[in-house]
Amino acid sequence: MTEKDYNESVLLYADNVYRFIVKNLRHTEDAEDIVQSAFEKLWIHKDSVEPQKAKSYLFTVAYHLLIDHTRKAKRITLQESFENDTQTAYQENKALKKVLHDALATLNETQRSLVLLKDYEGYSYEEIGEITKLTTDQVRVYLHRARLKLRNYLISPQQVL
Amino acid sequence: MQNINLHNYQDFLLRYIDEELDLRETEALLAFVAVHPAVGEELELLQSTKLDIETISCPSKALLYKNIFPVTLEPTTIVYPNKQKLFKKEKEKAPIVFLKWWAVGAAAVFIFIVARYGMFSGEAGNSLSKNNVAKNNSIKPVTSPVNNPINNISIPNDTIAKTGSLASTNVKENQQNIADNNLNQVVFENLAHPSIPTASTVTASETARAIPSYNGSIIDVKPTVIAEISVPSMPSNDETTETIETIDTESASSNRSVMVGAFEIDKDKFRGLFRKANAIFKNKENNKNEK
Repeated sequence: MTEKDYNESVLLYADNVYRFIVKNLRHTEDAEDIVQSAFEKLWIHKDSVEPQKAKSYLFTVAYHLLIDHTRKAKRITLQESFENDTQTAYQENKALKKVLHDALATLNETQRSLVLLKDYEGYSYEEIGEITKLTTDQVRVYLHRARLKLRNYLISPQQVL
Repeated sequence: MQNINLHNYQDFLLRYIDEELDLRETEALLAFVAVHPAVGEELELLQSTKLDIETISCPSKALLYKNIFPVTLEPTTIVYPNKQKLFKKEKEKAPIVFLKWWAVGAAAVFIFIVARYGMFSGEAGNSLSKNNVAKNNSIKPVTSPVNNPINNISIPNDTIAKTGSLASTNVKENQQNIADNNLNQVVFENLAHPSIPTASTVTASETARAIPSYNGSIIDVKPTVIAEISVPSMPSNDETTETIETIDTESASSNRSVMVGAFEIDKDKFRGLFRKANAIFKNKENNKNEK
């Protein structure tokens, strides 16, 4: 991958990676950090990454950075609960979308990532498996469970009322 | 293809949402949904769980680009004004004399021969001094047995001559006593001629000097030449012997020699060797210059 290919990857995939992360984290600043880290890693390993696989590489790196960040955030949740919440929450414009994204928040990290990779990026089960280091069957099962969970959230009595 | 029924239709619905069904499976599912309206309602509900694609721009996207604006400096020539002051005078190197292999070999052989000669001559000197001890004993034989005042052991001089310096330490003590006896004998002879009261007697005796250690036993013996000048101070029989100068050849010889490996070489011979080598090189240089 040349410098030109790298810059083209920024142009094409930076928004997609950012969307994937920010939808997962619901925190814009942390999402930016992860995106920058992912592209920095791509720049370091640009000689060994083919331009055709740049998108997959970026999502793979970003996904693992996301997992690390989430695990780290879980450890410091207790400390942050005593502090003012300065996070910039992702603002949902539409009510329907807000309900769906609230439902998305009820999923665990893996399920949420699988839904985002499937719906936003259109990756196949195999591609998602490569990014998340899961088998195709695991991706399919986890993703179906996530769909059913979202459905159950949408038809729950709270949401109906 | 697996047939779609009420037990497995949900899996087909989910795969349909995920767009993982092929064309035949999709047609079969749509046909099943058409037959079962409840399944159609469930399909709509599951489709509502699918996220709509929305465009979100990364705020820090501009920071991710690398080297969009090439930054290159054109080479410019700048001359440092005080460059001449930075130069240093180079020292003239000494001329290098290249030696030929035969010259080096000849010098090595010469040094070896001189070293060997020096070693043999040193040994010869030692043996000569030992012989002189024996000669002194033979020149002035003392027929009477020497009386050792320390041990009160009488040893004839013939025995001393035979055993030499490598004999037991008692023999060397006796040699010292012999020298003393010889000196006393000369002094007594001078006293026997009182007509020459101012005459001084110079005796030189080469003998073996024994150095006693702290416990009284003798530890080392080396041939030493001691020159003594005896001046009778009074005409009477009470003669006092004054030692004016004592020349110790042992210490002098040790200063003149140096050890080269296992060889002891005389310094004077070394100096002569270097002088000869220096003369050879000088002659060669002169010949080269003349050519």
